[in-house]
Amino acid sequence: MSGVLVVMEQRGGVLNRMSLEAVAAGRLLAAKVGAECSVAVLGAGGGAGVSDVAKAYSVEHALLKDYTADGYCAALEQLVKKLGPGYVVFPHTYQVRDFAPKLATRFGQVLISDVIGVQDGPVFVRQLLQGKLNADYKQAGAGPCFVSVQAGSFRADVEAGEAVAAEVFVPEIEAAQIRSKPGELFRESAQTVDLSAAQVIVSVGRGIGEQDNIGIVQELADALGAELAASRPICDNGWLPMERQVGSSGQTVAPKLYLAVGISGAIQHLVGMKGSKAVIAINKDEHAPIFEVADFGVVGDLFEVVPELTKAILAARS
Amino acid sequence: MKILVAVKQVPERDAQIRVAADGKWIDEGDLSYTINEPDAYALEEALQLKEKNGGEVVVVCAGPERVVSTLREALAKGADRAIHLEADDLGERDTLGIARMLADAVKGEAPDLILTGLQSEDLGLGQTGVVMAELLGIPHATIIMQVEVVDGGVKVKRELEDGWFQHVEMPLPALLTIQSGGNRLRYATLMGIKKAKTKETATVLAGAAVARAVSLERVYLPEKQKKTEMLTGTSAEVAAKLVEKLKFEVRVL
Amino acid sequence: MADAGCVAVWGARLPGVILLSNFQISATLAEPERFSGLEMGLLVACVMAAGGLFFWRFAPILNRILHSKKDADFSLRPVGRRVWEFVWEVLCQAKVIRQRPLPGVAHAFVFWGFLAFALVSLNHFATGVELGFLTPDGVVGRFYFVFAGVWALLVAVSIAGLFVRRFFVRPVWLGEKVSYESGLIALLIFALMVTYLAAFFVEPGGVAVKALWWTHTLALLVFLPLIPHTKHLHLVLSPLTVFLKRDGFSKIPPLSGDEDFGLVAGKDITQLISLQAYSCVECGRCTEHCPASTTGKVLNPKEIILGMRSYLNEFGPASEMALLSEARVESPDNPPNRYMSMEAAFECTTCGSCEYQCPVGIQHLPIIVGLRRGATNTGAWEDTYGTKLFLALEKNGNALGLSAMERDKFVTKQGLPIFDGSQEYCLWLGCMGGYDPKGREIIADFARVMSYLGTTFGVLKKEKCTGDPARRLGNDLVFQTMAEYGLKALEAAKVQKIVAICPHCVRTISNDWREYGIAPEIEHHSEFMARYKDRLPKQVAAAGESIVYHDPCYLGRYRDVYEEPREIVALAGTLVEAERSHERSFCCGAGGGLAFLGEESGERVSHVRAKELMETGAQTIGTACPFCNTMFRDAVSAVGGGQVQPQLLDIAQLTARALPDVKG
Repeated sequence: MSGVLVVMEQRGGVLNRMSLEAVAAGRLLAAKVGAECSVAVLGAGGGAGVSDVAKAYSVEHALLKDYTADGYCAALEQLVKKLGPGYVVFPHTYQVRDFAPKLATRFGQVLISDVIGVQDGPVFVRQLLQGKLNADYKQAGAGPCFVSVQAGSFRADVEAGEAVAAEVFVPEIEAAQIRSKPGELFRESAQTVDLSAAQVIVSVGRGIGEQDNIGIVQELADALGAELAASRPICDNGWLPMERQVGSSGQTVAPKLYLAVGISGAIQHLVGMKGSKAVIAINKDEHAPIFEVADFGVVGDLFEVVPELTKAILAARS
Repeated sequence: MKILVAVKQVPERDAQIRVAADGKWIDEGDLSYTINEPDAYALEEALQLKEKNGGEVVVVCAGPERVVSTLREALAKGADRAIHLEADDLGERDTLGIARMLADAVKGEAPDLILTGLQSEDLGLGQTGVVMAELLGIPHATIIMQVEVVDGGVKVKRELEDGWFQHVEMPLPALLTIQSGGNRLRYATLMGIKKAKTKETATVLAGAAVARAVSLERVYLPEKQKKTEMLTGTSAEVAAKLVEKLKFEVRVL
Repeated sequence: MADAGCVAVWGARLPGVILLSNFQISATLAEPERFSGLEMGLLVACVMAAGGLFFWRFAPILNRILHSKKDADFSLRPVGRRVWEFVWEVLCQAKVIRQRPLPGVAHAFVFWGFLAFALVSLNHFATGVELGFLTPDGVVGRFYFVFAGVWALLVAVSIAGLFVRRFFVRPVWLGEKVSYESGLIALLIFALMVTYLAAFFVEPGGVAVKALWWTHTLALLVFLPLIPHTKHLHLVLSPLTVFLKRDGFSKIPPLSGDEDFGLVAGKDITQLISLQAYSCVECGRCTEHCPASTTGKVLNPKEIILGMRSYLNEFGPASEMALLSEARVESPDNPPNRYMSMEAAFECTTCGSCEYQCPVGIQHLPIIVGLRRGATNTGAWEDTYGTKLFLALEKNGNALGLSAMERDKFVTKQGLPIFDGSQEYCLWLGCMGGYDPKGREIIADFARVMSYLGTTFGVLKKEKCTGDPARRLGNDLVFQTMAEYGLKALEAAKVQKIVAICPHCVRTISNDWREYGIAPEIEHHSEFMARYKDRLPKQVAAAGESIVYHDPCYLGRYRDVYEEPREIVALAGTLVEAERSHERSFCCGAGGGLAFLGEESGERVSHVRAKELMETGAQTIGTACPFCNTMFRDAVSAVGGGQVQPQLLDIAQLTARALPDVKG
């Protein structure tokens, strides 16, 4: 087919958002190389479809019910050999990271992983050194080119049209080929607060004034689905338990978002949250050091801004 | 149990990065190098497995002369032996080339378990371990938080997205890529450094580079530098602006 | 409280002292004239028995001291200072008196009395074999007996006072256990003095004279063998300990050879440490002043010294048995000792009060830091925060674990010139000055002061931590790396003079780095500013502002700088003193690497000190160390509750606020 094949990921028949972003990347790439974009999804049967693609494949086999690198590689190796796409695009999920390099190796290729952009050529842009540099990658030899795309790098289009009916592909897989035994997925019981694993943290500092005011910050955290954390003085005063303290004598966190409310940003606090991917700070003092590390800053009265923000978030959510 | 740990030497995290004159790589002039952090966790896991189950930890690193310092540090932390896979032209090799080089070098060691970090801090491709496993024909698992030796193999805890985990069992020999933060790293000690002096570091010359499947064409500074964006307006306006940011830039809504 | 009790006791006795001493001037000492052969034989036998018993008990101790490891770095030089310290601390009893005046003076009287009595005692035994060389008939003898008599009276009264203090007032620092041996010894000393004095009041030649003579003799001979087994061993050892102690305050000796990792086991205990351990007089001054002990932590410096002593008694100086109990294989012969534990060793803020206070020359810090070295250099100490700190130093080169680029950014933003060899001073930023927001404010203000004075300065392009926290936590590997890096950087930049805002940096660079090379001359910014105090503005408007100055441990006890920062404070307002100040200043809790470790047990040291500073009612707390500053920042708001809290300003900030704004 020599076109673009996007391998999507589903769980319980539902495609994840990153798969749809990968489809968007696939469509863009297909346009750049003047080819068609098709999609495939693996599983034990069925699988949700997408619209506006040339073809859709449902790779089905009882041994694909639970993910294994051996099973997925065997199946996709057969599919790619059968279809002969020029490009195979994946979302850069934990699952893809587990099997895609292995698949590429079977074709004597190297996966160009975690791509944030596609340019003419095609040239694939990735980040190096924790985002300090960008790099352009190209395929050097012949054969299918394997690419995985970073979450959030391509805007997933709304799937408006009717889903393209999937063609079923049944690979040949022997049970003996699968060497690992996967167990059930589980989540850690949340008996203790583990801020270090939290994706979103709303943290409150001395600016809150007194214990009774913490409620408004808790409401904001609830609206965001965030863990509530605090700087040392809050925990010292016993307003929140010690286990919620972020900083040099508390926990070190690295969430996707750290929203600091009324925290000036003493060094002991900064060292505990400097790994956060995005920082938003709300503080009345425009010289507060927290703004040095913030991506977005609001100089203002937290007692006005926080309730407004909670309201706006709840409105956006509904 | 013989455990082999493949580590990489990378520029220090807070190094000032300058693009080299040819635009193909960074200026290595006055860079300081250190062990790749996930690899440090892989080494830690190996040392803890050895402490629990006995055996030997062999650490291997590919690269020019400078990587010997990283190997020595690993010996100081408790590895028993080191293999320096000497190659001055890592930049000329792609992941497949490097994984093949490593696979060839460790084949003779016949380790029960190979550990490495889930990805490097410089290139961040996150593939060398998986490709090595494929080349060696052994099973693997990635992004591992815990390793437990069980009858006939290992049981590992894999990290998945959104706080999900999964246990996976597999026979040995196997290769695991280790996630940062699963264990507490140990610090290098004076005693370790002194003991390391008596440990063996074998040097193996890497074979010539072969044709690459992918090539790095150029590197450059990204346009957007991190800067604090101050949002102003009434409380309601600021809240609306923040929601926009949360939706489209931070992407938590 | 203890001292107050003593005053009462002494007050009651004072008139008696005067009365008695007036009386005895005219009296003559009565001595037996004749001794029978039997008596002489008995005396010689008793003396030999007592002497034998003494050596039988003392020899193993001496043996353990002598068989301890040699102190590789020991040198008698400078002898002059050793002699001076011996005269001041031993002969003048200066430390004993200065830090606990009343019991100190009592002790000094006993000590001086003993010295005066040396001749009398010698003559006493000589008389017993009819070879007495002092007689009440001669002028010299007559004078000396009366002279000794005055001392005898002072000793008797003093020992009685000390007895009352120990057994009735019972200051908590002497320990919970009542030492009956101490009581017995006090009684013996008292008996010696009374029997001596009584001989002034009896008729010569009578039976009473003989009886007194024999009682005195027996008291002396019973006393002698008691010495090695009790804290009274300090009578024999402490003069030597004071004379031989390591040259320098809190001096951490270099490790010697490839097998030395600090104090791991008995084999690592050096002769000086042994000698010091056996010299401890158990007075508890170290513990009384210890910020860890007094805030409810396990660490008790006196018990560490006694722990070393009992380890030596039990296992000897060649033992491989671990010193700290977590590292020991526990057995019935080897019970855990909570004082000799990693928990205790790592609670020390290295404030140095213990070492400063010790009247018998024990140097606690090389011992406590030595124990930490033994635990850290071998990897036995496993602490989440400690490990994080060491990895941060290894990887980022600063104690806070921040990217070195953050320092570059600050230097650029602040417009600090880079040192290029043309400037007079290298301004050392340190971790706090380079990375901490408050520390940066101090640097910015001190830079303004320097510019105002027309002093040229520059900062190093790249600077790493001095290694102070690693040094104090016993990580020699990281410390060495940091020291060598710093020495090289300063040499490469051709720095001649350094000034720093952090006393920890000053101490580590000027002192601890010597193990690896000689750094350029360094001074603290208080010393620098005090030199120019006449050119700095006197803040007339602020004269009403009361400022309490907190002595940082590493500036005061470690560097002997007390007055310079006070001169600066006095320019900015009215200086107020806290209850504990100068060499008795109480730690802020940050030193010894503790600023980077986790939550402390018991009460927070910083809270105790902040409370004390706030109780002065001062409007401002003046600090001279960025670590103290950051500790008090949290403590003041926690302790002060909703009340008006004092401002917290470094001496550089106090000075800079009066400077005219520099344009440009």
